[in-house]
Amino acid sequence: MKVTRREFVKTQAAVAAATVAGVTLPASKTALAADDEWEKGIRWDKAACRYCGTGCSVLVGVRDGRVVASQGDPDAPVNKGLNCIKGYFLPKILYGKDRLTQPLLRKKDGKYAKDGKFEPVSWDEAFDVMADQWKQALKKKGPTAVGMFGSGQWTLWEGYAASKFIKGGLRSNNLDPNARHCMASAVGAFMRGFGADEPMGCYDDLEMADTFVLWGSNMAEMHPILWSRLTDTRLTKPGCEVHVLSTYKHRCFELADNGMVFVPQTDLAILNYIANYIIQHKAYNKEFIEKHVNFTKTPTDIGYGLRPEDPREKKAKNRAKGKLTKISFEEYAKSVEPYTLDYVAKLSGVSKHKLERLAKAYADPKRKVSSYWTMGFNQHTRGVWVNGLLYNVHLLMGKISEPGNSPFSLTGQPSACGTAREVGTFAHRLPSDLVVKKKAHRDYAEKVWKLPEGTINPKPGFHAVLMMRKLHDGVMNCYWQMCNNNLQAAANLNNESYPGFRRPENFITVSDPYPTVSAQAADLILPTAMWIEKEGAYGNAERRTQFWREQVKGPGESRSDLWQILEFAKRFKVEEVWPADLLAKKPEYQGKTLYDILFENGQVNRFPFEGKIMDERGNAYDNHESAHFGYYVQKGLFEEYRLFNAAPEAPKKGHDLAPFDMYHKARGLRWPVVDGKETLWRYREGYDPYVKVKNPQVAAGDVYFYGKKDGRANIITAPYEPPAESPDHEFDLWLCTGRVLEHWHSGSMTRRVPELFRAVPYAPVFMNRKDARKRRLRNGSLAKIQSRRGEIICRVETRGRNRPPEGLVFIPWFDAGRLVNKLTLDATDPLSKETDYKKCAVRITKA
Amino acid sequence: MEICSLVVNARPERVAEVVSGLEALPGVEVHGGQAEGKLIVTVEDAPEVAAADTVHKVQDIEGVINAVLIYHYGEGDSEEEGNRESYST
Repeated sequence: MKVTRREFVKTQAAVAAATVAGVTLPASKTALAADDEWEKGIRWDKAACRYCGTGCSVLVGVRDGRVVASQGDPDAPVNKGLNCIKGYFLPKILYGKDRLTQPLLRKKDGKYAKDGKFEPVSWDEAFDVMADQWKQALKKKGPTAVGMFGSGQWTLWEGYAASKFIKGGLRSNNLDPNARHCMASAVGAFMRGFGADEPMGCYDDLEMADTFVLWGSNMAEMHPILWSRLTDTRLTKPGCEVHVLSTYKHRCFELADNGMVFVPQTDLAILNYIANYIIQHKAYNKEFIEKHVNFTKTPTDIGYGLRPEDPREKKAKNRAKGKLTKISFEEYAKSVEPYTLDYVAKLSGVSKHKLERLAKAYADPKRKVSSYWTMGFNQHTRGVWVNGLLYNVHLLMGKISEPGNSPFSLTGQPSACGTAREVGTFAHRLPSDLVVKKKAHRDYAEKVWKLPEGTINPKPGFHAVLMMRKLHDGVMNCYWQMCNNNLQAAANLNNESYPGFRRPENFITVSDPYPTVSAQAADLILPTAMWIEKEGAYGNAERRTQFWREQVKGPGESRSDLWQILEFAKRFKVEEVWPADLLAKKPEYQGKTLYDILFENGQVNRFPFEGKIMDERGNAYDNHESAHFGYYVQKGLFEEYRLFNAAPEAPKKGHDLAPFDMYHKARGLRWPVVDGKETLWRYREGYDPYVKVKNPQVAAGDVYFYGKKDGRANIITAPYEPPAESPDHEFDLWLCTGRVLEHWHSGSMTRRVPELFRAVPYAPVFMNRKDARKRRLRNGSLAKIQSRRGEIICRVETRGRNRPPEGLVFIPWFDAGRLVNKLTLDATDPLSKETDYKKCAVRITKA
Repeated sequence: MEICSLVVNARPERVAEVVSGLEALPGVEVHGGQAEGKLIVTVEDAPEVAAADTVHKVQDIEGVINAVLIYHYGEGDSEEEGNRESYST
């Protein structure tokens, strides 16, 4: 039988799928797959996916310097060979036709001009002009006049280098990641509840739970690989059930045994009802709460993180306050007592039997419950509260830190955990949960970084939303946005971010692989070598750190973010940015550049680069950064970073990362990694080695929340409070924004993949048919959507994958052609400073 | 030449319905997995229809709970070869 290449590849593809699914195919279907002649000449290697926080591993096939094939990595514990539609086309993100290949500067008459047109310039000219602008701002106003907006898509070492440069070098804390928009509320709740960031459980819970509850997470579209694992468990495990809560119906409702659509913001009340149900039925785990929990309350009426002159802020009694007060169990019980079934069913619009079924699932001591949430909880003006209210429920039942019992905060970005949170690129943070406010933490960071005492500024910098306000007001004048598209993300574009970008005295730099909305509104665009065009490392939602090697070269003069930060640091002499008395403490630094001090410090540059990176199979890879700087840069940065988490004297315990070389061999490892062993469930003896270290008397299998001094987690009571803006007679609909399966975030990558673009080219407005009819709109009509802040035009979708109830519309934010952030309100959680993108008021008319 | 494979999850009672929905699409072949409710499917480009566009339709078939991609081969595809033009203003 003559076999065509097509048939052969097809068989190969079917066998790969069958292997992953554990399905046996008839022999006739597999006979062809033994021969691998056609594959010769392709170099295969692993890489972490560029998109979401799931952290799938993909195999990348390179021939002649180009990626020609990709496959879900069958050896990866996260995705077990599976791939979502975005992952399937992943390598194509490198090959969009409008990749940026050289720096572009706005110029007029041969010179930089804010009102000039973009012209190609050399890297030297780009950095000369940029450094000149930064130095002027620093001279005039000091370190708070400059800032950097980074990313949960940065590699670990890029975030680490940025933190050193901004906090240790320029002495500004104006460094914040776009993860502020997606994770900050989760972080706030972890710190308040447990004293340590990131989940206690891991993805293994997806096979071990009896009940799954999704709170404000459309996992079927946003975390499809985790959804496929959950689906598998639901369909194969007897008695397994799935509860889904959302403000509109979405694809997860297909599988839901108990699907609930609730009125926006009433998740606060529903969670308090569940706690009340547990207490009323005396279902709580008495022994657990007596031994492991403190009861507390948080100040209420805290405002909405708007500008201070906003009437809603003036009215707030305890604006942005969050200090906890201890209360008794009885006081706690009393605080949730008003949340009766009747009251909450009426407030939330969810029927009583559905609410009760949900409460019973949590209250049943025999069922293992895993709860998952994403932006529905985090992008919430009470985001820290609502995260905490869910922990309350798990803690009351003791359903935490063990296989199958897991409150689990999912992440949206590939390294929101790794780079934004663990490396600590937030305006108030330092690596490994350290904060700039604490002297002991600053001292430790200064010691590791070999900087004189007093280098690091004790005052937190501007967070993401505040940066936009400070640019708008001309308080901050230089802004470097890297590895994200904030002009498409930041709420209230027309009145805050865009005027800030274009304010005459401000100088905006945007580093990106593509000419995004942000890039086009900048003054200097720097072309980025992305993803596998450099060696990288990401940390996913389950604490798994994963590495990849450089697979192909970036196009033209594009350079990685790491290269850009280190090169820019060379432009600053220490005398230009440090006061004389500080420099006097380290006279040997005189005359040096920030690059010399921060990166050629005997630590970062201590690993030689041999000209090639070799894998254990004998394949060779380039590493352009190491070739340029003359040492193994990524390894040096990572090993220095480990002094914050794995050194015996590190102030915060339980964050240990393994030595650099281990990660190139493993399919990722979940921290804390102690003696080469990863940790699956934190805070429980037998799983987490730190429990015994912190509490030598701990009983076998017991928990100890060692993030808090007394080893107890906080149950924090908080009431239902209304959102910042609700529909009224003028703007009569709720607007919720979010994503779709085919596009990732602002679409700067996925919209350049032809297949994904064709699948979902434009953002529609998903709305209820009755709402459409009332406005004389039909499926496919053009509609004008207006809020108090702006307007856009979208096509109406009444039959799509999302089915909103009457009174609510949903618009995805990937579409640069209709910027939904013209509509959204820049209200934030006053505690976490994360924007609520899920609730504002709009009206819709025929366009 | 563009070929890929998928695992398509369907509720066991709806497998037959999903299989016929799949086979109605151009370039689609079901290789097995009916018993498990995990269908092993390949999709290849057919005349006038790119494999990728067919893949999107799979998700929309009634009764499909989830469709995940496993393997992709796309060498020689003109879009895959997409040339890198420099950006000009």
